[in-house]
Amino acid sequence: MTIADGVKAAALLFVATIAQVSIFSQLHVFGGVPQLVLVTLVSVALLRGTVVGALAGFFAGLVVDTATLGQLGLTSLVLTVSGYWIGRYGETTGRDRGHAPFLSVAVVTFLYAFGILLVAFMLGERAPAGPEMRSLLPTIVMNLVLTAPTYALVRVLLRPRERADYATEVQLLG
Amino acid sequence: MVRRVVLAVLVVVALALLTVSFRSPTSGVLHDAQSYGSDALRPFQVAAVRVARPFRDGYDYLDSLATAKSRNAKLEKMVRDYRSQALLNASAVQQNNDLKRLLRFESGPSYPQDFRAVNTSVLSFPSGTFTEQIVIDAGTSSGIHVNTPVVSADGLVGKVTNAGHTTSVVTLLTDPDSAVPARDLKTHVSGLIRHGQGGTLILDRVSKDQVVNKGDWIITRGTVDRRFPDEYPYGIPIGRVVAVGTSDIASFLTVQVQPLANIDSLDAVAALVPKHPRAKP
Repeated sequence: MTIADGVKAAALLFVATIAQVSIFSQLHVFGGVPQLVLVTLVSVALLRGTVVGALAGFFAGLVVDTATLGQLGLTSLVLTVSGYWIGRYGETTGRDRGHAPFLSVAVVTFLYAFGILLVAFMLGERAPAGPEMRSLLPTIVMNLVLTAPTYALVRVLLRPRERADYATEVQLLG
Repeated sequence: MVRRVVLAVLVVVALALLTVSFRSPTSGVLHDAQSYGSDALRPFQVAAVRVARPFRDGYDYLDSLATAKSRNAKLEKMVRDYRSQALLNASAVQQNNDLKRLLRFESGPSYPQDFRAVNTSVLSFPSGTFTEQIVIDAGTSSGIHVNTPVVSADGLVGKVTNAGHTTSVVTLLTDPDSAVPARDLKTHVSGLIRHGQGGTLILDRVSKDQVVNKGDWIITRGTVDRRFPDEYPYGIPIGRVVAVGTSDIASFLTVQVQPLANIDSLDAVAALVPKHPRAKP
């Protein structure tokens, strides 16, 4: 990961975040909303691994919460874990697989929705799971539609790493 | 090892931010910092909205073409109805003013003449399925503060629940936490406007012995007792009753209200700032 890569990833996520809060959040289709930030984060994390994924998630969440004057840290927390988890998948079993971005986006969309619900619930705020579940399927479909072009763009800007850069062993714990 | 340390640090920082933000959501150092951050992001959000606007206008134009003919007929009928209603209203207003003068009637500031409209654009829209909030391009520097009512050209939209220097968060009428004291313009029945199913509203707490008719206009109730001033001034249009139902086991009527403001596609709104600082709604 070079400084240029970091700047590119930050710029990508910044643009995606601004587009998300100002444009995409308005596109309600069957109750679902396309999540460009999530798709961009998944693309960056798959191509650059855990550390960049976690940092990118934290940064994107901070921008979202700042732009919407929302509860600072809430989106960052969930996106940090999401970025880390997808980065780990990209470093290990997900590498070189064509379906990895699509699978990652579908799973992360699901986990992100649950993550936000869980944090809101733990804070004692209203967290109705019903509406969230009803909108989940359309959201996943729209995110999957966004995945191919977004991943292709991110892949052009952040060239995939060499095979030697990936993790080559798995450490057993316990 | 490094990656776990990075993750742990980021999670701890996020939790710390969340804790501080949760404890004081509308004031404090972190809120000020967030407000300055929001100010810095505002030009980018404005630019994004401007870039998207032609596409949105194009879609709206095509959409309106498809329904233009039927809409025109409906509007012509409405104009005829309103013209006859306006004549009746004019004489009623005159009579009302005369009676107030005779009674030396005192009232709080009324909408819209006692309020200054801070017209502003919408910067971001609700993104979650359980939060109905928008961010507007005006804040405390324009006289807006928490609980400032926000309207569109059609009717009430919501109220400010978090105010930054140049941006503010508006909680919409359709948010589950929103509750607006309201009344039926015709029958004078009072209730609470809450969110309903499918983007509609309900006029809650209306007992079964009261009368609300389909087609009645619902407006804000305003302050009833000066000791407990309401956040909304009297007379802001909210919506029209589309259905009234009841059941044997329910204590209240089920009054479904269609909001006048098109809350799903708001471009610009106006925050109502009292003209006189001492004036309370």
